[in-house]
Amino acid sequence: MKNFRKTGRGRIRRARLISFTFDDRQYQGFVGDTLASALLANGVHLIGRSFKYHRPRGFLGAGSEEANALVTFDRGPGRVTSNVRATTLELFDGLVAYSQNNYPNLKFDLGAINDIFSMMFPAGFYNKTFMWPKSFWDKVYEPVIRKLAGLGPAPTEADADHYASLYGHCEVLVVGAGPAGIAAALAASEKGDRVILADEQNELGGSLLSNPEARIDGQLAWQWLDKSLETLWLRKNVTLLSRTTVIGYYHDNFLGLVERLTDHQGDINPASPRECLHRIRAGKVILAAGAIERPLVFAGNDRPGVMLASAAQTYLNRYGVAVGDNVAVFTSHDSAYETAFDLSDAGVKISSIIDLRADVSEILLQQAHERGIAVLTGTVVCGTKGRLRITGVRVAKFQNQKVSNGTEHIACDCLLMTGGWTPSVHLFSHSKGSLKWQDDIGAAVPDMANENTLSVGACNGTFGLSAGLEEGSIAGGGGNPFRTEETEFGTGQTWQTLPTNRDPSRIKAFVDFQNDVTEKDINLAVLEGFKSIEHVKRYTTTGMATDQGKTSNLNAVQIASKAIQIPVQKIGLTTFRPPFTPTSFGALVGHRADDLFDVTRKTSIDGWADDNGAVFEPVSLWRRARYFPQGNEDMHAAVARECKATRNELGIFDASTLGKIEVVGPDAAKFMNLMYTNPWTMLAIGRCRYGLMLHEDGYIMDDGVIGRLADDRFHVTTTTGGAPRVLRMMEDYLQTEWPDLNVWLTSTTEQWAVIALNGPHARKLLEPFIDGIDLGPEAFPHMAVREGTIFGVETRLFRVSFSGELGFEINVPAHYGRALWEKLFNAGKAYGITPYGTETMHVLRAEKGYIIVGQDTDGTITPDDAGMSWAIGKKKPDFVGKRSLARADIQAPGRKQLVGLLTTDPNIVLEEGAQIVATPGQSVPMTMIGHVTSSYWSTTLNRSIALAVVKSGRAQTGSNIYVPMPEKTHEAKICATVFYDPKGERLNVV
Amino acid sequence: MLSEKTGIHLSIDQGVRLAPILTNETEIGGVRLIDEQVRYSLRFKPEDIAAVRKASQLDLPANIGMSSIKGGQLVLRLGPDEWLLISDLSRALALKQTFATLSSKFTCSVVDISHRNLGFIVHGENAENILNTGCPLDLSLHVFPVGKCTRTVYENTEIILLRKAEHEFHVEVWRSFAPYLSRFFETSVTDKAQIRMGARDDK
Repeated sequence: MKNFRKTGRGRIRRARLISFTFDDRQYQGFVGDTLASALLANGVHLIGRSFKYHRPRGFLGAGSEEANALVTFDRGPGRVTSNVRATTLELFDGLVAYSQNNYPNLKFDLGAINDIFSMMFPAGFYNKTFMWPKSFWDKVYEPVIRKLAGLGPAPTEADADHYASLYGHCEVLVVGAGPAGIAAALAASEKGDRVILADEQNELGGSLLSNPEARIDGQLAWQWLDKSLETLWLRKNVTLLSRTTVIGYYHDNFLGLVERLTDHQGDINPASPRECLHRIRAGKVILAAGAIERPLVFAGNDRPGVMLASAAQTYLNRYGVAVGDNVAVFTSHDSAYETAFDLSDAGVKISSIIDLRADVSEILLQQAHERGIAVLTGTVVCGTKGRLRITGVRVAKFQNQKVSNGTEHIACDCLLMTGGWTPSVHLFSHSKGSLKWQDDIGAAVPDMANENTLSVGACNGTFGLSAGLEEGSIAGGGGNPFRTEETEFGTGQTWQTLPTNRDPSRIKAFVDFQNDVTEKDINLAVLEGFKSIEHVKRYTTTGMATDQGKTSNLNAVQIASKAIQIPVQKIGLTTFRPPFTPTSFGALVGHRADDLFDVTRKTSIDGWADDNGAVFEPVSLWRRARYFPQGNEDMHAAVARECKATRNELGIFDASTLGKIEVVGPDAAKFMNLMYTNPWTMLAIGRCRYGLMLHEDGYIMDDGVIGRLADDRFHVTTTTGGAPRVLRMMEDYLQTEWPDLNVWLTSTTEQWAVIALNGPHARKLLEPFIDGIDLGPEAFPHMAVREGTIFGVETRLFRVSFSGELGFEINVPAHYGRALWEKLFNAGKAYGITPYGTETMHVLRAEKGYIIVGQDTDGTITPDDAGMSWAIGKKKPDFVGKRSLARADIQAPGRKQLVGLLTTDPNIVLEEGAQIVATPGQSVPMTMIGHVTSSYWSTTLNRSIALAVVKSGRAQTGSNIYVPMPEKTHEAKICATVFYDPKGERLNVV
Repeated sequence: MLSEKTGIHLSIDQGVRLAPILTNETEIGGVRLIDEQVRYSLRFKPEDIAAVRKASQLDLPANIGMSSIKGGQLVLRLGPDEWLLISDLSRALALKQTFATLSSKFTCSVVDISHRNLGFIVHGENAENILNTGCPLDLSLHVFPVGKCTRTVYENTEIILLRKAEHEFHVEVWRSFAPYLSRFFETSVTDKAQIRMGARDDK
């Protein structure tokens, strides 16, 4: 195999020869190579097949703008990444990569048949063709199209890597470490301001890395670069981030940066994060993102071996690789000459420079002449030859806007092209800065900034080393201390589609290489009536590939502008959106996966439940014990046992997750009157009341038992899931509606562990351990609260019941929760104590007809709907939701009301959510009059029970309704909501 | 059973276990769990500050976002009418009396939240880095000086953050969020031990 390395060139470490495989074939390269440069050094140009037509493709560029060279990077199971640009993939010993989108192989791809029948695949082809039958889209068309369309396969295994993240702050963030960026960082960091200099490449230096001959302050470019980076490195206020892509520029100078940490290393250290997401807030952002060279649009401009001239210069000067033996150059800009001269000086034959322009600078012509390079001015390339690699070009004279008929063949193994330069305004656009058209460079440049940001160097349309250094340094707050010697950057012309002497309908001139969009597609879109550039983009998919049109957008805009006949200044640009280059999901997720996906809140008693075999369920962010199976019990058996034990003997339940809010201040009762429907003024100290809270719309929002500890102090409880929104709504009203009230709210949910004891033996178990509270039934009645101690620890003891049995809720400071639970559990064994979970709690409360907000209510249930008009303080002048309760539709008859249901067959447990109809024989769709909200098997009653909301349900007590289910329609009778102990006698068991 | 009623017979468990990588004393630092503390949320009208200070003898910071650190006692001013007091257990009884007096004399709210929160000390040269793994604030010394405190977030948790010294932060978090927070601290320290982000390539 021929070696294309050039001695004496490049920054690769020639001392370290390394091996890698591409498509199962082994090659050699050096540390410092990219996959692209190493393949080119081995003479490999064919790297992939195109997206739609499966045309052979080679390397277009040498950096992150690459459109063609997408490969699959394989580091083993769980570490396979598709669509990696070979031009940015750093080489290491043992690297494995594969080409994509070809079958059976890269050189002979059956999919290339699409290219032959390409006239059948114009823009909008899929939309036009696969419309009927409609049902075919999901099952047939889309899967097949996706399989054929050409990107690498999505990974099937879980990502084996993990990803870090950090927030950061600086006074100045410099994006891009080319000469302008380095000059900006040097100036900005002089006085001690924190400066971050980030660059996507593995080495800092930008264009200087490809341009070693330039001189700054008398030093060769690379010497100056080393010295400048050393200066920056030694400054403690400077952070240099290489391999770090600024992916997005968001509001208020907040930017996302992804640093690649391990992809360039041969040995995988599984403990090391693969990437780190830096979220940076910067005082000032200096954008020095450079410019991207623009391809020329001519027939056959996509053949392997056709590449951007600047890429060839980079391969030569940075990697020591000649892109060919006999190179032709096609340009409309002076900058291509420098590449031609560099190649020529390195011993590569330049077959000719083909320049579209009739007039070219005398100096350039002279320099070409000195090197013996033929320059064909006023000449255009009308076609290329070669299947898997270019073998030659057909050129014709282009004079007075006319292309002559005669063509000349020029042999070459590589064709370099330059159609001008496009400033990288992506990040500036992310930040909502506006752009303006600059005619002399034929591109958009930053205009009005929307953030504190400056663009410097080529991304600002300021080309040339000297000008970039000066602009960078001034942006960083310095002067212009640099003297440079450089090749003049020169000028050029930008074109739309190039003129040709061939039938334009029979050629393929590519605009977007990655999505296979040709100049014809854009013209067709315009012909079919798409006049907005955003519509043209979506119809043709130009600029919508993974490269977001970095090399194609401006050509597309100019072609569309010509076709629509609107000046390019007015047609606008399509929107740039983050991320700047494709970004791994892992970097965005960071450590927030698995157990860190979100908080799992656990009570202080959770550990005991875990040790004792509890099955858990999530309730908002909390996990709660659902039931405690013994032996081989299923949920049904466990819940039956737990229910029975609690009703007959004693149950113990962890109620710590209940929300708690301490309402304190002289206006506490006044505030409670306003927030809850119930009256609070007359509630005695030491007594409790069930509180109902409504939204402004009059619907039930939350409920809970509230105890009055002092004139000015209430202990409010809320539902587990409702705690944050209740506190938020309370604070909202307090701060915005009633700031005059002297009352403060403190969340105490986590201050207290709460153990509920329910059952006839509850008092007997508790009594010996309590000090300072008389537990006697008269001294401590139902719905009361006392303060005292238990096992010597302060407690707020509530006598309340959510089960209908004699019940106590013991509040102790949370860190004592588990110890208290264990003491009570051990002592309770004498009374047959049984731990129960949320499922049993639900059954017990349903037997008593107690609602659960969010289960028996759904955001459209008023207190009256729930049969709870008794909870409304009728004499109160106001409370949240009062006004809405007077609305006509809330007062109207026929609203759904909460009722009990008893199925005719007692063994049928209805499905929660099942719809209810009045008569069984209706034709579908039946008229639905309500639905089941809660439904359980009641061991206590030895039959099923259910709660439901039914239109005018209370008036229908005693009548039958029907619940149609897929297998059978069930009959049930409407009854009262309290199924068990309707007189509440069990609360007062002594 | 009467003897059960005198003295405290329940053991304390703050419910969080720190991974060894956090507690091992290394040069880059780590995380400690603070022992049980007394904590009060103190709310009163801003205009009463001088009078409350006088009556309570508490070193109440005058500026929002600042704190006083004296012996084993911290007082943080978190908002116009909100102070957080954290003290070691030795002052528990004295504080109870102080606040009983305050409650009788002033329009205020005193709520015991001793067990609601846990406290962590994040210390060492790596402290800022551990915190900035999940907290978006600028923690450099000139922006977030010693004594500054604020309510903020760390990933999905709400925290209160206080800088006690250049390389020492006090972090308060609600009890049930503490295991998640400490796990995140762990990832930060592990990552840092593995790789120095932004480090120079050894070319």
